[in-house]
Amino acid sequence: MSVHWLPRRVLTLMGTFVGIITLIFVLLRLIPGGPFDGERALPPEVEANLRSAYHLDEPLPAQYLRYLGRLVHGDLGPSFRQKDFSVNELVGAGLPVSLGVGGAALCLALLLGITAGTGAAMKPGSLLDTTLMALSGLGLAVPAIVLAPLAVLVFAVLLHWLPAGGIGSPRHYVLPAFAAALPYAAAVARLWRGAVLETLTEPHLLTARAKGVGRVRLYLRHVFPLAAVPLVSWLGPMAAGLLTGTVVVEQVFDLPGIGRYFVQAAINRDYTLVMGVAIVYAALILSFNFLTDLVYGWLDPRLKVHA
Amino acid sequence: MNTFRFSALLRRLRTMLALLSFAALPAFGADTLNLGLPGEPATLDPHRYNLRIEETVLEDLFLGLTTFSAEGKLMPGAAESWETSEDGLTWTFHLRADNRWSDGTPLTAADFVWSFQRLLNPRTAASLAYFMYPLRNAEAISRGEAPVTALGAEARDDATLVLTLEKPYPHLPERLLYPTAFPVPRHVIEKVGDSWVKPQNWVSNGAYVLHDWKPQQNVQLVRNRHFQPPPIAGAVIYHSLASAQNAYNRYRAGDLDAIAGFPAGELETVKASRGAELRLSPQLSMMYLVFNTRRPPFDDRRVREALAIVVRPDILTDRVMRTGDLPAGSFVPSMVENYEHPALPHASLSLAERQQRAKQLLAAAGYGPDKPLHVTLRYADGGDGKRVNLATAAFWQQLGIKVDLHQAELKVHYADLRQGDFDVAQAGWLGESNPEHYLGLLHGRTGETNYGGYANAAVDALIDQAREQKAIAPRHALLHDAEMLAMQDYPVLPLYSLTVRRLVRAELRGWIDNTRDAHPARFLQRP
Amino acid sequence: MSHRPAPRALSPLAIVLSALLLLLVTYVVAGPWLVDFGPEDVDWDALESPPDARHWFGTDLVGRDLFTRIAHGGRLSLTIALTATLISVLIGVPYGAIAGYLGGRLDQVMMRFVDTLYSLPFVLVVILLVMVVGRNTYVLFAALGAVYWLDIARIVRGQALRVRHAAFVEAARAMGATTPWIVWRHVVPNVSGPALVYATLTVPGIILAESFLSFLGLGVQEPQASWGVLVADGAGNLESAPWTLLIPGTFLSVTVWSLNLLGDRLRDALDVRAR
Repeated sequence: MSVHWLPRRVLTLMGTFVGIITLIFVLLRLIPGGPFDGERALPPEVEANLRSAYHLDEPLPAQYLRYLGRLVHGDLGPSFRQKDFSVNELVGAGLPVSLGVGGAALCLALLLGITAGTGAAMKPGSLLDTTLMALSGLGLAVPAIVLAPLAVLVFAVLLHWLPAGGIGSPRHYVLPAFAAALPYAAAVARLWRGAVLETLTEPHLLTARAKGVGRVRLYLRHVFPLAAVPLVSWLGPMAAGLLTGTVVVEQVFDLPGIGRYFVQAAINRDYTLVMGVAIVYAALILSFNFLTDLVYGWLDPRLKVHA
Repeated sequence: MNTFRFSALLRRLRTMLALLSFAALPAFGADTLNLGLPGEPATLDPHRYNLRIEETVLEDLFLGLTTFSAEGKLMPGAAESWETSEDGLTWTFHLRADNRWSDGTPLTAADFVWSFQRLLNPRTAASLAYFMYPLRNAEAISRGEAPVTALGAEARDDATLVLTLEKPYPHLPERLLYPTAFPVPRHVIEKVGDSWVKPQNWVSNGAYVLHDWKPQQNVQLVRNRHFQPPPIAGAVIYHSLASAQNAYNRYRAGDLDAIAGFPAGELETVKASRGAELRLSPQLSMMYLVFNTRRPPFDDRRVREALAIVVRPDILTDRVMRTGDLPAGSFVPSMVENYEHPALPHASLSLAERQQRAKQLLAAAGYGPDKPLHVTLRYADGGDGKRVNLATAAFWQQLGIKVDLHQAELKVHYADLRQGDFDVAQAGWLGESNPEHYLGLLHGRTGETNYGGYANAAVDALIDQAREQKAIAPRHALLHDAEMLAMQDYPVLPLYSLTVRRLVRAELRGWIDNTRDAHPARFLQRP
Repeated sequence: MSHRPAPRALSPLAIVLSALLLLLVTYVVAGPWLVDFGPEDVDWDALESPPDARHWFGTDLVGRDLFTRIAHGGRLSLTIALTATLISVLIGVPYGAIAGYLGGRLDQVMMRFVDTLYSLPFVLVVILLVMVVGRNTYVLFAALGAVYWLDIARIVRGQALRVRHAAFVEAARAMGATTPWIVWRHVVPNVSGPALVYATLTVPGIILAESFLSFLGLGVQEPQASWGVLVADGAGNLESAPWTLLIPGTFLSVTVWSLNLLGDRLRDALDVRAR
């Protein structure tokens, strides 16, 4: 694989990154209401003291440059609301939880999806195929906000099998990971079924079949690697979707991840925390996509020929 | 046979799940209190705090000059006694001899002086600095117009603190209950600066000290060895809960000993199934609707009266919300003590009579079937606001009034209110057991928190006069007159006082309901 | 390749699904006329009451009839979804068609832009956007449409690449037709099938996205309520009033499910592929 496009790609990535930061910064400041508005209205002199302590009394471009200057040094600034923590500390505490849920969900989605997709593709049109596809249809259609409260009620409150929220042990991840994974598992199942069926029609497979290659060997050696190509290309967006999908899941299951921070921080107008979380998400999504591109290029032999 | 196999499968699944769990927090013994907090504290610096949930934790970490008893009554704290001068302007506090910081350093009157100065120093940017404005020169210091040393707080000796006031303020001991009046460890802050709030640097003078704080999860406190008498429970974990539903789920799953707030809709179920654990404690608070008296047609007293009298707060609380909240009689919450609460002018009328009168009032103001009144009712996200406002709108719609509802985020809502950008809006106020705290919102010179811009010179004069009184009785008598007068203008429509819906395990001892909703952990005990 | 792919016969399932959707739309449109309650009317005698003869789907916490509210909510949800889809088609189809037909450097640049937008944390941007403008339904349309046009642009571009060298296009070019004319007369009609399929799949996606926003408290403004808002409200009262979650949840899920399935069938019938 040629790598001459790499430096340019990295440059584009950096540009995109700065663009995202600027976009979020501008959007945030357009939102009405500020970090110090609340039920207990502050005397003007107290609010002035607060604004100057957080440099909010400076003009916006100066604040933007101050922020970028800090960011270059890896400093996401102090949190407006969580006054005893820096944004770095908060993101540092929340990111492992979000990545844990997102990662577990990703594995689960692939595992469930590939299993179901293979099963369905074995005998297209069979009862198994129809059932699995109908189930995956449900997985795509019933939103987590309907399913999650029901799951908590049944498994945590009534049966006491799993914790009702919070974090602390792997058990805490079970329900959230399932809730986050389900729609993606369904999507993977469909994608995988289609890819396997399509691969089976490729000429060289027909040859292999004719040569009498065993069924297991045929699937493992010949079908799956080719069928994986469209899946891999979808992996980047999927990982990104799962990660941002944890915004809702963290909210439902009371998980201390960064997704819950984002919503709370946006409501609190905690400018630096919102920026920090958005920057981390953007960095993750950009790297997912970048990695996907790399793997995709490496995996698809046909693409290499074209390049 | 099928069922048998299924249950075996379930058992196996269950064992698998059990194997996945870790032992929880070995540092904490069986007597550890697990208490739910409805949200995440923003800070544990008593001078930078802003929220009720922070007060809850800070009251366990620090001890002010005065403090709460288990019953939520004011009792001596770091000060064992105090006296007031004849003119009510000088207060002398005598500190306990055994006051110590959690690192063993003696705590003296000078620590309080330094702490009060830090609170009012503009560089601290304390959002609740104004709580201490009764002290002489406090407001000027906060504005940066006087040096912090000009503050009316002085250490006569290690055990004697003298506070001088701008004006007589008989409620001072009550004001000192707030964390804004807590002492902070000067000897630590001068060494490590803002990071004194980190667990490894933590020093305080309350029953507990900070052990750890896991953001969005919990705040862990352990016993302060230097606190006398030693608290019963060795440790307290305050769990930050994202929502009422979450609190309720985790309480029922057995994770928590007590929670504040469960879903309002569950009240009936809870009454039936967990009656012994249910604690409804009315809170010193007032939820009300405010009319924008600067904006026509709400500058017309008749329109305000019509809108106000047809809403029955008792129907809202008892039938619509069913959350245990207390319907309002007047603007000062009924829990405020030593105060004669005036009855609203229309209190004795039936709903039909009220509607009759309201129609006449509206007609007199020029509104009727051919020219309906249009009202935009604003309210904030969260809480029970939505239900209350929908029901309020229904009361008005019965008069043929056209109501638009406008819901906004809390921050946006209060920003709009302060700018006077509304017709009629929901507002709330949490206060002290002091009528002035509420009636001040109706004073013409209060500024932005008098959201509706109501001004009546006679009311202002009565409140000003009350503020000069040295004793509580004459003060409250004048405030009573002021409220009586103001309520005839209908600047606000008092709706209800909030009730905290708690669930407390029956076996948790030492929990006593009170209107301050104060439950210091040092009085609580797990069996 | 034929000028226009001939659709294969639709399966019985597709017919059943279409009938189901038709039924749903009928309820959503005509439902409110069947009952005496308006969506904002409070029935003081039936607060939070389970389904019965008077209120067929029960009432919510303030005593509003859910039969009519769910119908109104469906109108709103479907309007949001259809409008957002329309926006995404209006942006995505020309964008993809132009990029695919003209190809070359322009195509590369245009598709790189799409890739860049793909890498935005969109959930976060939409959340902020909704906060900027307050709870405005039109902003929801625009914000959601702005997210989904990317998929359509990609699909359409792929199709356009295919027809670019088709005989009829070459012929038109040889006869001196202008580029806009070719794009309009030949490329767009040929990509309209796939675009339609993906639009069918976009509608349920937007319904779901709207429900997530509602759950985060950023949905449409009360007293209006979309299905997402109704579901989010119901989720908070699951135990005391399970019907307030289950009934609107079922409507939402069934709609999404049948639209997804229908889209899939259409895709198979029209033989459209993502890449």
